[in-house]
Amino acid sequence: MIRRLLIANRGEIALRIIRACREIGIETVAVYSDADAAAPHALAADRAIGIGPSAASESYLSIPRMIDAARAAGADAVHPGYGFLSENAAFAESCTGAGLVFVGPSPSALARMGNKIEARRTAADAGAPIVPGETPEDQSDAGVQRAIERVGLPVLVKAAAGGGGKGMREVHEAQDVVGLVQTARREALAAFGNGTLYVERLVPSARHVEVQVFADHHGQTVHLFERECSAQRRHQKVIEESPSPALAATDPALRTRMTAAAVAAARAVGYRNAGTVEFLVDPASGAFYFLEMNTRLQVEHGVTEAVTGVDLVRAQLVVASGEPLPWTQAAISARGHAIEARVYAEDPARGFVPQAGRLLLYREPRMPGVRIDSGVVEGGDVPVQYDPLIAKVIASAETRPLAIARLAAALRAFPILGVRTNVEFVIQILEHPRFQAGTVDTRFLDRETPSLVSSPDAAPEFVRSAAMAVQPSANDPQSAIRNPHSTWDPWQS
Amino acid sequence: MAVVTRIGDGVLRVEVDGRAETVYVAGPPGDRWAFWNGRTFRWNASKSADAGAAGRRVSRRRASSRTDVTAPMPAKIVAVAVREGQQVTSGDTLVVLEAMKMELPVAAPLDGRVRAIACREGDLVQADAVLVELE
Repeated sequence: MIRRLLIANRGEIALRIIRACREIGIETVAVYSDADAAAPHALAADRAIGIGPSAASESYLSIPRMIDAARAAGADAVHPGYGFLSENAAFAESCTGAGLVFVGPSPSALARMGNKIEARRTAADAGAPIVPGETPEDQSDAGVQRAIERVGLPVLVKAAAGGGGKGMREVHEAQDVVGLVQTARREALAAFGNGTLYVERLVPSARHVEVQVFADHHGQTVHLFERECSAQRRHQKVIEESPSPALAATDPALRTRMTAAAVAAARAVGYRNAGTVEFLVDPASGAFYFLEMNTRLQVEHGVTEAVTGVDLVRAQLVVASGEPLPWTQAAISARGHAIEARVYAEDPARGFVPQAGRLLLYREPRMPGVRIDSGVVEGGDVPVQYDPLIAKVIASAETRPLAIARLAAALRAFPILGVRTNVEFVIQILEHPRFQAGTVDTRFLDRETPSLVSSPDAAPEFVRSAAMAVQPSANDPQSAIRNPHSTWDPWQS
Repeated sequence: MAVVTRIGDGVLRVEVDGRAETVYVAGPPGDRWAFWNGRTFRWNASKSADAGAAGRRVSRRRASSRTDVTAPMPAKIVAVAVREGQQVTSGDTLVVLEAMKMELPVAAPLDGRVRAIACREGDLVQADAVLVELE
């Protein structure tokens, strides 16, 4: 079994991994950049090692610094989390070369699935339908432009190395090609250190449905059902849920075919550990297309944990240690419905521009059936250098409508002050009739966002008077607020 | 008449019209934030942009027709899309910023001419830093 694990990540996912380690007695080593010296993940681990400046390219994306940190800490394994180096085959290779267990697939599986052309060929050979597209050999503006002409507008231009909507642009008009290609390339370089672009036909009215797979070193590959993530804004997932409402509305055989295709694709690359196979689904025709495979733990893994009752991160550590999967396919079942909202520091009223700043007040709600994974604390900072994800709120209940209502109730009781967030925007989505009917496609948010961003109405009068008339903090002697414990003792807190 | 009771640090119970509401409040008097029922409010004495709607980050200088276009947040300049003296129309991209790995175009708030460019590609700028002066 792994003895001491270096967590090559930050924020909520680093904390999630630390918790799993505590349960099974693995020592934890966090890494932090200058901006994160006092971040919760650095404070929570058994020890923490500074790995450089705040810019991710010089810290969380630096393979040599990460390997040096693992060696200095005497770690025997590395968990990459998601994002950063998690899908970087060279990093997995470097870990192995340094005698460290990489918690994830083999470098060769990472490389094959990380190359979108290879991944599509692999999936097609394994029997999954694919969307037309290509990675142009000539990566100049003109070369990508010719590839776009071959594939046919409208297209998606994506970072060949990445995910999460970074380095991804939709191109509808020929005149926009060059500008959008240049933007996508810059974003791809900044986010993944690789500006290679991939061009794919845009499928309209599609639903995003992904299958969680898991394989061990003993020949066992299983799936843990699907998640639907059709509520995306500019290809950035906002809400994820399981089971998929798109599949619920179609022939039950579709789920069987998709999960079988996902397992076959994973087997075809000799996949090990946790992975996710993403599909586009056209619910009208029942057609589905392989999109890509994410060779890592997903942000939204908690949704699958909520419906299946398994611990995916613990299983990752067990499997990476060489032990068999803790469950057989027959033992995995799903129950009820789970739905997750990603709470981002961003300002919907100003084009969702990311926000950075100090969290003046941050209180997570506690209620039955609600799990919150976060990497921030009240009084801490949301740094400008990294992804603006603050927290993931996962609600589970017996049915989809009850899970939606529970998530909305949790968000209404989740005060975050000091930075603007998307909380109100997410509540608007959850309460939209089309979302509640389960018919939202991947373009829904991009179409409907203007109507979902509420105009900044004036605060209700009682909110304004409560906020302005008094000192909110207990240690202010000028307070005019009635204290419930003592009607007239302003010094008592 | 609302009755306000502090029930925790920054947590206020407000009785209004026979209902009990919970309002969370933080920040100094000049930059006060409140949260109620999933909604966030901010009263900022220095930044009129936050009280208003679209929140365009521009300031007009007194007795001149100059307009400063500023950075909405700390960011890196990845591209300057205009040159000094160029005529621009409202909505044209002036500068492309990068923050949190996303690119953010900064558009001209009005029609005008680029009087000066106050940033260069690769610069790191703070929130409210002037990027471009229009006239």
